[in-house]
Amino acid sequence: MTAVVETEGLTKFYGTRRGLEDLTLEIRQGEVFGYLGPNGAGKTTTIRLLLDVIRPTSGRATVLGADTRDPRVRARIGYLPGELALEGRERARDYLQFLADVRGGVSRGRIDELAERLDADLSIRMGELSKGNKQKVGLIQAFMHEPELLILDEPTSGLDPLVQQEFLAMVREARTAGHTILMSSHVLAEVEHVADRVGIVRAGRLVAVEDIAALRERAVRHVELHFDAPVPKESFEGLPGVRDVVVRGASLRCTIDGRPDALIKAAARYTVVHMVSAEPDLEEIFLTYYSEEEGRHAHAGA
Amino acid sequence: MPTLVRKSLGEYRRALIGWTVGLCAFLGMYISIYASMMNDPETFSKQAIAKYPGALRDLMGGMADIATGRGYLQAVAYQLLGPLLFTMCAAILGNRAIAGPEEAKTLELTLTLPIDRRRLLLERWAALALGLLAVALVTLAVATGASSAADMDVPFGSILAAHTGLFLLVLFFGTLTLCVGAAFGRKQVALAVVGVWGVAGYIVETMGKSIDAISWLRWISPVHYYLDGRPLYQGWPYGDYLVLLGATAVLLMTALLAFERRDVGV
Repeated sequence: MTAVVETEGLTKFYGTRRGLEDLTLEIRQGEVFGYLGPNGAGKTTTIRLLLDVIRPTSGRATVLGADTRDPRVRARIGYLPGELALEGRERARDYLQFLADVRGGVSRGRIDELAERLDADLSIRMGELSKGNKQKVGLIQAFMHEPELLILDEPTSGLDPLVQQEFLAMVREARTAGHTILMSSHVLAEVEHVADRVGIVRAGRLVAVEDIAALRERAVRHVELHFDAPVPKESFEGLPGVRDVVVRGASLRCTIDGRPDALIKAAARYTVVHMVSAEPDLEEIFLTYYSEEEGRHAHAGA
Repeated sequence: MPTLVRKSLGEYRRALIGWTVGLCAFLGMYISIYASMMNDPETFSKQAIAKYPGALRDLMGGMADIATGRGYLQAVAYQLLGPLLFTMCAAILGNRAIAGPEEAKTLELTLTLPIDRRRLLLERWAALALGLLAVALVTLAVATGASSAADMDVPFGSILAAHTGLFLLVLFFGTLTLCVGAAFGRKQVALAVVGVWGVAGYIVETMGKSIDAISWLRWISPVHYYLDGRPLYQGWPYGDYLVLLGATAVLLMTALLAFERRDVGV
C-alpha cells in the first residue's frame, strides 16, 4: 500500500519550546488514522506542518507523494482547522463557493447535499454563525471537493450527537471511496468507532501507533460469573491473563487481559448461571499507556 | 479578475465606501469654505498670516499664499489633513491583507488553499492598490469639482499632479502596513511603524527643513517625495514620484520574501 502521509524525523520548535520532535509516521491509503493526545501535545503542530502553514525546524514530510511546500497538492486535501474562525458579513454559502472555485470547483449540488446532511443553514452571515454551525460549515468545506486526503483537527468539537453520527458516516463513506482520513482528538472514544489505527502523541513525541483491532484484543475486560453454588477461589488463581480475582459465595469477579479462553475453561467445570462481560474500554488502555509513559518519564527524570 | 482579488475587494468594500464618503465630505466642505473666505479677506491677509508663529506656518506648509486658490488648496487639502486621513484609510486596509486575518485566525484556511503564498500576497496587494485607486479617483473628481465651484482657478492638470502624488504616498503607506503585517502578523506593530514613520517624516520634512541637524533625514521621509516637488504649483515631480513607486516596489518585495518563509498564526 502506498503512503499518503509520510514524515521522517519531523521536528518543530517554537523558539526553545518543543512543539513536535522527531515524528516518523506513515499513513496508508484508504485508512482512517486517529491522532490522539491531550491538548498541547503536538497534534495541531503536526497538522499545520503537513499543510505548510508552519515550517519544520528539521525533518521532512510528504503528502500524497508531493512535498508539503507544493501548493498544488493542497487542492487534493480537505482540511478542517482545530480553531476554525469564520468572520465577516459574507454568507456561508458564498464563502463555500469561493473556496470551491479556488480549489477547482465541486460537483453541482454537493454543497447543498452536505448542508442537508449536517442540517446546516448556509444563508447566515459568517460572523453570526453559532459554534456548532461554524463547525458544520468547516466540515462542508473540508468534504465538498471529495479530497483524496482529509485532515480533520478535532472535528467533532461543538457538534451535537446526531450530527456526530452523520459526520462519522461521512468519514466511512470517504474511506469506502478509497480516501484517507487523518483525524485528531483528545479522547479515544471519539475516534475508536471509525479509526483503523491510532497514534498517540504526548509532549511533542509520538509514543505509540496501534491497530484498533489489536488494541481491542489487548483490552482489559471486567468479567463477572455467577454459579449455582459457591466456588473455591483456588480454581481461578494463577490462570494466564486473569487478575484481581474476587470470589464471594457463588459469584466471581475478575479482570482479564486479552483472550478469555483460560477463564472460560476453568469456569466450565462448574455450572454457570449468568455471565457479564463489559465491552472493552479502550479509553482505559489508552490511559494506562499514558500513566506508564508518565511513570517512565518520572523515573528517568529522578 | 483573479478570484482572490475579487474576494478581497469584496471584503474591503464597506471600508472603501466609508472612507470615500468621509474623504469626499472633508474635501468638499473645506474647499467650499474658500469662497466665503474670499469675501472676508481680513482673516487670511498677509498681515494676518504673519502673526502665526513661524514653526506653525512651517508645519502647515508655509501658508504664504493661502489667500490664492493654489495656496488654499495646498494648505487645507494636500498639505496635512488630506494625506493624514487617506493614509489612515490605507493603513487600515493594508492591515486587512495579512495581519488582520492572521490575528482573527481566518488566514489559516486561506493558506491551505492551492495558492502559493506569493500569489496570495500579490493578489491581496493588488486588491489594496485597486481599492486605494478607486478612492483616489472619486476624491480627485470631488476635489476638482469643488475647487472649480469655489472659483479657485487651479487648472485640472495641477490638481491631477498633486492627487497622483497623494495616491502614491498612500499606496506607499498601505504597502508598508501590508509589509510589516506580512512579516510579523501583528496589526498593532504595523500601525505603529506607519504612525511613527509618517508623523516623524512629516515633521522632518516641514519643520526640519531649516534645522541642519535633522534636515538630512528628509531623504528617508516618504512625505518629502510627496511635498517637495510642489506639484500644485510646478506640475509633475517625476523623479520624486518614481522614488515613491520604487520604495513601494521594494516594500512589496520585502513582504513577499518575509511572508514566504514565516510560520503563520503561531
